[in-house]
Amino acid sequence: MFDIRKMEIKRKISVYIALCFIVTLVGCKKEADVKKEYSQGVFAMDTYMTLTAYGEKGEEGVNEAIEEIQRLEQLWAVTSTTGEVSQINKNGSGEISQDTIEIVEKAQEIMEDTQGAFDITIYPLMELWGFTTGNYQVPKEEERNERLALVCGENIVLNKEDKTLTLEMGQKIDFGGIAKGYTSGKIMDMWREKGITSGIVSLGGNVQVLGTKPDGTLWKIGVKKPGDTEGNLLGILSVSDCAVITSGGYERYFEEDGVSYHHILDTDTGAPADSGLISVTIVSRDGALADGLSTALFTMGKEDAITYWKEHKQEFEAVLVEESGEIWITEGLEDKFSTEESYQIIEE
Amino acid sequence: MKKLVNVVKDKKADFILLSGLFGLGVIFLFIFLVGKNTSSQSVVVQVDGEVVNSFSIEDNISYTIEGKQGSNELRIENKKVYLIHADCPDKLCVNTGKIQYVGQSIICLPNKVVIEIK
Repeated sequence: MFDIRKMEIKRKISVYIALCFIVTLVGCKKEADVKKEYSQGVFAMDTYMTLTAYGEKGEEGVNEAIEEIQRLEQLWAVTSTTGEVSQINKNGSGEISQDTIEIVEKAQEIMEDTQGAFDITIYPLMELWGFTTGNYQVPKEEERNERLALVCGENIVLNKEDKTLTLEMGQKIDFGGIAKGYTSGKIMDMWREKGITSGIVSLGGNVQVLGTKPDGTLWKIGVKKPGDTEGNLLGILSVSDCAVITSGGYERYFEEDGVSYHHILDTDTGAPADSGLISVTIVSRDGALADGLSTALFTMGKEDAITYWKEHKQEFEAVLVEESGEIWITEGLEDKFSTEESYQIIEE
Repeated sequence: MKKLVNVVKDKKADFILLSGLFGLGVIFLFIFLVGKNTSSQSVVVQVDGEVVNSFSIEDNISYTIEGKQGSNELRIENKKVYLIHADCPDKLCVNTGKIQYVGQSIICLPNKVVIEIK
């Protein structure tokens, strides 16, 4: 009895000491230059990006990040004549630099894990549908099948020693489904190395955050309600140190004969994915993974997406929205997701 | 008729110029950093990085933004911000619908227009 009380007192004292310590730390943080904010917007990678970093190194960090974005854009843009991707698409093979090796490896990993639901060789199909140019058309089934035969990421050969990438005849690659996530992840690494502890990048809606907000609270990331044009929210995710990336088919689409066709193509059918999901949001520490999975799970549909999550739940969490409006969140997001809507929890 | 064809052609050319960089490039703004809602929220309009105008979200206005390639018709109504019309070929900016929270934005890539609630 006596011992327990003594322990109780000891515990109280240690909690007290710990609290003092935390208060002091927070005090220090505030006195230092942690709150200095530097923010910059830039048009790049076919989108508008905003970057914000806090602290002494914030400005430098943001400027270096923008230079890096522009360098990667040049490297990977399908229309840049000097870029590695455009050269490879033109010649069937070509030399690649370290970043391209890394992004291809990551893409191959996601492709294998998702059994091809995510595939960087889908470009010839995107071209056929006109999503790359805006000259939209609904292709004939024969044409679709022809192009579909080219969509096979397994057939591209990455040679890390020679630093080359080789495609099969007629294949074309595009990093559009992973580049922004890869880039935001890379920016986080750059900032971490500089000693920046707080920052956020929004690369065309792909959000990735470093640490917490400068005041120590979580970043609040709003997710738009899919298909809602009145500006209502699906919910808010409160997060630190992770990427939040959404795929949905409800903004880029075209209509023909009263049918609308969105831009996320199913690698099995060669047509816009019709899986019953209208929006998939992925939360992960790995930006490139979050980017790739948001597309892959969107095309998989709810059941397969849930199965996939159960097999990889260490790597990510997800919010799925069905056409019917039903919302499903994985159990790891239960205390991070706030919404006025009703939702169901996916448990293991 | 001839004139119309020309116009259509020009628009397509512009779009290809501006959007061919990343084949699957998307500008969806499904997600955004939620800012603090204050009593004096403003709607800031930028063209190619320069602030060209700003309004209070309390305003009820129609405003024509002269963008890089064409114009966008902005409307603020009942504390919601949206584009009712745009000259751009893809109309992604109009399809964005209404925004109302601090941190949200509407982007028109071809016209290099950024509308943000701050």
